[in-house]
Amino acid sequence: MLKFLKQVGDYAKETVQAARYIGQGLSVTFDHMRRRPITVQYPYEKLILGERFRGRIHFEFDKCIACEVCVRVCPINLPVVDWEFDKASKKKKLNHYSIDFGVCIFCGNCVEYCPTNCLSMTEEYELATYDRHELNYDSVALGRLPYKVTDDPMVTPLRELVYLPKGILEPHGLPADGPRAGARPEDLVEQTEK
Amino acid sequence: MNSGIDLQGTFIESLMDLGIPAGTAKAIWMPLPMVLMLIGATVGVLVATWLERKISAAAQQRIGPEYQGPFGLLVPVADGLKLVFKEDIVPAKSDPWLFTLGPIIVVIPVFLSFLIVPFGQNIVISNVGMGVFLWIALSSIQPIGLLMAGYASNNKYALLGGLRAAAQSISYEIPLALAVLAIAMMSNSLSTVDIVNQQSGYGILGWNIWRQPIGFLIFWIAALAECERLPFDLPEAEEELVAGYQTEYTGMKFGLFYLGSYVNLILSSLLVAILYLGGWDFPLPLNLIAGWVGVSEANPVFQIVTAALGIIMTVFKAYLLVFVAILLRWTVPRVRIDQLLDLGWKFLLPVGLVNLLLTAALKLAFPFAFGG
Repeated sequence: MLKFLKQVGDYAKETVQAARYIGQGLSVTFDHMRRRPITVQYPYEKLILGERFRGRIHFEFDKCIACEVCVRVCPINLPVVDWEFDKASKKKKLNHYSIDFGVCIFCGNCVEYCPTNCLSMTEEYELATYDRHELNYDSVALGRLPYKVTDDPMVTPLRELVYLPKGILEPHGLPADGPRAGARPEDLVEQTEK
Repeated sequence: MNSGIDLQGTFIESLMDLGIPAGTAKAIWMPLPMVLMLIGATVGVLVATWLERKISAAAQQRIGPEYQGPFGLLVPVADGLKLVFKEDIVPAKSDPWLFTLGPIIVVIPVFLSFLIVPFGQNIVISNVGMGVFLWIALSSIQPIGLLMAGYASNNKYALLGGLRAAAQSISYEIPLALAVLAIAMMSNSLSTVDIVNQQSGYGILGWNIWRQPIGFLIFWIAALAECERLPFDLPEAEEELVAGYQTEYTGMKFGLFYLGSYVNLILSSLLVAILYLGGWDFPLPLNLIAGWVGVSEANPVFQIVTAALGIIMTVFKAYLLVFVAILLRWTVPRVRIDQLLDLGWKFLLPVGLVNLLLTAALKLAFPFAFGG
């Protein structure tokens, strides 16, 4: 009889505990309701990307010496470098250069190793097309610079969390020139020089 | 006992004054509240789906629908229009008759149950003597429709979903009925109007939730299970069963299921409000307020204000419960089918029986407080 009563007691205890856990959970969801949405309303608002963002690759045709280092460091030998040897000047002459961004993984190796810095990363990430062949950028398309988010009158640029002033967690309605939290690289250089 | 406004009586009398015989006058009156209730229930569903979206979004720190009308208020309308104009597909090798009948059988009893939902002393389609029992009886027709839909779809997910829905509805009907029985014992009546009247008079203190806290919880859990709301949405568990018995449905037939589930949620919330939260009763006793302000209770303006306040209170309480249901949806994970049946048969049923016995004992011991 006592054992049975103990069982009933334990069961009741467990029930109360379960109910308390549900109550705790409800308070968590309820608390989330009063927080501001973290949504970035994309076509109207865009995040300002970090300086190390790896977007679509930019290519400067005139700087290229057709050394094909980019092809060798590429994990899948993606860049197509079409050159011929110009006997008069005894130099390689670049005819065409193209990268297929449908295949590119944006690892940035080519940018890292390019000896003449003719490759660089841009902030462009809106690459959607109706045909995958349109993603195969030739030297002309690679030479275009993307529009900056901060210059676009249609877009409200929002700063990312690390670029917000100290103590602020909310990118909406900030003055444009508020300094970011922490020391900037040039400040750090100054400190080490002292 | 002050009966408040009697719209039906005045309407019929004014028609009879115009020289229309009594029978015809009554026949002209009868469809009016029905149509009004149908429209009300449908609008209620639109509001509920909008709330579902907005509250879900808020609970996840999103914004939710925003651009379709002010605050995305037109989203449910767009939803409904889309479902109406969608192609109606009957899958191959299914049973077309059962497939069509399924959603109809699911929806009709839910709408029919609005017959007994009172928004005021006389603001009810029909004061049926065994109102709540009628609701329980009607709600047990639903699993037949669900099973029909699941079986007729010629799809194993649909069949499994239909079977789960039937098992769930049948197991949770019993604790639901037991909770209602305890209320009926205290109120000495099954009529929803009588149940609310028995709670009114003392404001918020007189509501059944104080006398029946266990019954309230049992009823709410069982009602959620009957509505197939999370955490009890096993019949349509999308991660396991695609969409359960709704898998093969499109267009308006799916729309009927969708409508039915939300109408059912609103109906259950309304009934919780009526059975446990005092229905149209204001948290402060209104005759007391009338006494303070110095208005007689027979004052026509006071009567209109009371009636309006009654409707507002009922709807407000119901939507408060809808809000809790939506919040619960994002809080509690879905239970397994064995946990569901365990909870129904091994927990809610015995607790419901104990609650019933306790109520009976309290009624004998303190007849003044427990409706002797």
